[in-house]
Amino acid sequence: MADTTAAAAATSTGTTEPGLEVFTGAPAPEPTRPRVLLVGTAFAAGAAAVAVCGLVALYAQVRTQSLASEGSWLPEETVIPLTPGNFGLLSLSMSLITAAWAVYALRNDDRIHAWLAVAVTIVFGLSFVTDTAYLWQQSGLVVGEQPQAVLIYTITGAHVAMAAVGMLYLLVMGFRSLGGQLTGRAAEGMEAAALFWYVTVAVYAVVWYTIYVTK
Amino acid sequence: MTVTEAPRDVLDAAAVDTEPVSPTGLAALVGSGDPRSIGKLYVGTSLLFLLVAGVTGVLVGFEQVDIDQPDNILASDVLAQVVTLHSISALFLVVLPLLLGLALAVVPLQVGASTVAFPRAAAASYWGFLVGAGLMLAGYVANGGPYGGEVEGVGLFVAAFVLLLVALSTAAVCVATTVIALRAPGLSLRNTPLFSWSMLVAGTIWLLTLPVLAGVMVLAYVDLEYGTAEFLGGPGGLYNRIVWVFWQPAVYAFAIPALGIIADIVPVFAQRRLKRHGGAMFLIGAFGVLSFGAWAQVGLSAFDSPDTRPWLFELPWIAVSVAIVLPVLGLLGLWSSTLAAGKVRMASPLLFSLGAGAMLLVGVAAGIATSIEDLDLVLTTWQSAQTYLVLLAALTAGFGGLAFWAPKLYGNLLPENTARLVATLLPIGAFVLAVPYGIAGFLDQPRLLDATETAIAEIDEGGTVETLNRVSFVGGAVVVAAGVLGILAVLGARASRRQGPGDDPWSGHTLEWATSSPPPVGNFATLPEITSEAPLYDARHGALRDTTEASA
Repeated sequence: MADTTAAAAATSTGTTEPGLEVFTGAPAPEPTRPRVLLVGTAFAAGAAAVAVCGLVALYAQVRTQSLASEGSWLPEETVIPLTPGNFGLLSLSMSLITAAWAVYALRNDDRIHAWLAVAVTIVFGLSFVTDTAYLWQQSGLVVGEQPQAVLIYTITGAHVAMAAVGMLYLLVMGFRSLGGQLTGRAAEGMEAAALFWYVTVAVYAVVWYTIYVTK
Repeated sequence: MTVTEAPRDVLDAAAVDTEPVSPTGLAALVGSGDPRSIGKLYVGTSLLFLLVAGVTGVLVGFEQVDIDQPDNILASDVLAQVVTLHSISALFLVVLPLLLGLALAVVPLQVGASTVAFPRAAAASYWGFLVGAGLMLAGYVANGGPYGGEVEGVGLFVAAFVLLLVALSTAAVCVATTVIALRAPGLSLRNTPLFSWSMLVAGTIWLLTLPVLAGVMVLAYVDLEYGTAEFLGGPGGLYNRIVWVFWQPAVYAFAIPALGIIADIVPVFAQRRLKRHGGAMFLIGAFGVLSFGAWAQVGLSAFDSPDTRPWLFELPWIAVSVAIVLPVLGLLGLWSSTLAAGKVRMASPLLFSLGAGAMLLVGVAAGIATSIEDLDLVLTTWQSAQTYLVLLAALTAGFGGLAFWAPKLYGNLLPENTARLVATLLPIGAFVLAVPYGIAGFLDQPRLLDATETAIAEIDEGGTVETLNRVSFVGGAVVVAAGVLGILAVLGARASRRQGPGDDPWSGHTLEWATSSPPPVGNFATLPEITSEAPLYDARHGALRDTTEASA
């Protein structure tokens, strides 16, 4: 009786050998597509990047005109030290590696290391925020007194806001990986968060060169 | 270990109690993540704001009927506010949300997806748009706006404008992601329907343009609220940092979806395939690339530099202004040859398409003259006329899209006679509005915001210009009347209780016509085989061929 039932089941599902069921009636798997969250994040990161880079272009334009017409750009009492900018760049450069580590660990189902990598990335991010705050404190720029300050604070502030979004994104994906929602076979969320972070760092390179190096 | 088990009847009762209850009424509206509902909300709200743009447009037009008599009906400070409200509402409250709403409802159907990408983000974008638009208008009421006298009002306007831009950008992300990542199996990007393709191109260009404007507005807000206001400059300084989106090449970006709408409508009403689908994709893409205009911002200068428009009449700007005519000409050629080769069935969507195509061609062709420095057309009403033509082409195509896809949005067709009347009046009104206005610009009439007494006194042909302005005013009134009729037509389709037109009233070519009108939740029960850009056309003509062969 039991054998008859098993045979009937095997016929309906196309079982060819014990323990392996082939569902002949099932639809073919969907072809691989670019993934939704990754694509959406790419668009959003691109939009955020052009917003900051547009401001940087405006800064460069106004600075060039000021140099041409007045022979100077920043007020004499203003100091933009290179050290915090360099430390910020160093921190973010290292965070590129740790963000890639988070993705790599998750793809290998190593959730603990993925979480550790996310945490270290966020620490690097916070280090960058501290560096920027130090610049704000040291520069001597006052928004209400100098028009240059409006541009510098808006650009660096906008980029810090972008970095904050990136850190929050990584944090959420870190928690989701700890909770088992992201796995080695479904690591798209972490990849997307890392992609946003990479773009954030790339934008900082532009900000660093414009604000800290060329001043 | 003790295992306890609840009695069966208790479990069943608990299951009934915890069954999710579908929200109804306002809760259903606010909580909806259905792209069709969100799209319809976008479309409905944009049509509501069309009234704002129309009324302010009539006021602006009436003000120019007598150019020697400034302050005809509006004081100069109020006039500046009304002019900016007219232009900003026309683009950001009407054209953009109308096209995005149409895309949110139609693109998932066209690409065979069950929903839009990030439906909750799409819903959030609509509510952000609505709140942003409301606060922006409140900013105007509080004497804000670009020429406002109250700092708080101007600040409210700027903050609301940023919210509006973020919301529209979010919707663009949802639509573009849907086209890339949610296409049905078998539907390659090369075979994507042209409206969806145009929305991918437009979404990308908008995402490279709108955030730049948002960034500049954030800068303006910081300067206004905390800074020296030196960056903003004097009165109108804020508008100088917005106005570049109304000028070529950036303004063309808002007409990209119009090309896709026309390209989807023409073959259906020619009852044959569009010639060279791949070529049309390339031309739409080329138009999009050339319309990227964030690099050409006006008013970049600060600190009273005399060089306020450093990019004007430089080679890149001239090259783009001339080259962008080519894709439009190419597309017009493809559409004309498709219509010539097919059996044309005249209906309102095709009428809208023909009008929109003609307007867009004249609009971009006018840009060539704008780019000739010796003609001195920048900052004259020639430029305003060009912007009118481009934006009205986008609006007309949007109405065409509504007439075409109304069964999918509302379950019914737009009243055909009303729709045909609108499709006839809109282009006529647009040309009567724009052509005399452009000629007046040729006769040195400055745009209204620069119309100081000195500038007006320099117009040689004062009487001629006034006559042209009067004709232009009549054209504007016709456009507004057509817009109101268009709104009534959409309301008519929405409220109609008559039997729907069926799932595929136009014998469409693309996937959206393979499902019911309106579509069910999830859009499709099954999808036809997709091997080309026109799977339904294939299926229909394949079946016809099979029948013919069988009977032979």
